[in-house]
Amino acid sequence: MSAEIKLVPVQEAYDDLVNRTLSRIFCDLGRLIYLASTREYNTGNYHHEGLASRFGPEVARKALELAHRQAFYKVSALSLEDLVSELETYLRSTKENPQECLRAWQKLEPYRIAMPADVNVTVARLFTSNLRLALAILHFRQEPSHSHR
Amino acid sequence: MIGTGSALIAAAVLFLLLWIWIRTDASSRELPLAPDEWLPGGGEGAEACPPEFVSRIFSGDDLAFVWRLDSPGLKRQFRRERHAVALLWVQQTSAAVRRIMRRHLEASRASQDLEFAVEVRVFLQYAQLRVICGVLFLLVGLAGPERLRGMALYTHRLTQSIGGVLREFESGARAREISGAGPY
Repeated sequence: MSAEIKLVPVQEAYDDLVNRTLSRIFCDLGRLIYLASTREYNTGNYHHEGLASRFGPEVARKALELAHRQAFYKVSALSLEDLVSELETYLRSTKENPQECLRAWQKLEPYRIAMPADVNVTVARLFTSNLRLALAILHFRQEPSHSHR
Repeated sequence: MIGTGSALIAAAVLFLLLWIWIRTDASSRELPLAPDEWLPGGGEGAEACPPEFVSRIFSGDDLAFVWRLDSPGLKRQFRRERHAVALLWVQQTSAAVRRIMRRHLEASRASQDLEFAVEVRVFLQYAQLRVICGVLFLLVGLAGPERLRGMALYTHRLTQSIGGVLREFESGARAREISGAGPY
């Protein structure tokens, strides 16, 4: 009974997060990056001001953690072809120069910090491996010899 | 003469197996391992690999996509990356099977009413899994993960099955302990 009482607000907070915030981000990779950015580097705790004020910090933290985990598994399960499209959409959606973004992503691999804690190690490796490949494919498509074909 | 011939064949087979092992091991080390050492998983709290990811790792769809791009460099990178992920899955599965068996042995030692048939079944499944993991480890480098999808999914199901037997065994032992303890 007590578990039920605790779970319902988390579900409500999760639904609120999905409907109000995540629905405005139009690609799965973008949602994943956003959710990872709500996690504090030093403590690993999630925080979202609006969600915490509505549901309390603990419920908001659990909802964010759940959403982050789901977004991660969704992106990791994408085929390489779909991941390339996702990445292309994401890089175009940023206000930065997509080519510069692509170079920075290849060099710094910022997507590594987008992984939640305690996920399966093979899935985590598949995620980083597929992103490295997707970046290499986008880079290849931007090469002049390839784009003029 | 037959003895010399057999010895030569055995030596050739041994040499071939060693060569395959070294080649597979080398391909698993080709990726920069250091940056992936901090992957957020692998601890006691880490989740098991869901079956849809086993299917994805050993699928031929991604390979077909990369092949259509017609870039030798990308093909090489894809092979290297996917081999490493597949080998990691084999290693993780093998480690999980060893962990399950260790726990089962500990539980069996503590148990007073062992069922011979269950013990034989668990041991045979364990032996089968260890052999399959060894074969998969060798074949990933030789045949490529995309040709081993059926075998990988079978291994995953068998691992789940042996894990299920352990869970049943442990819950049965707990139930017997509780009923044996009697009322306070």
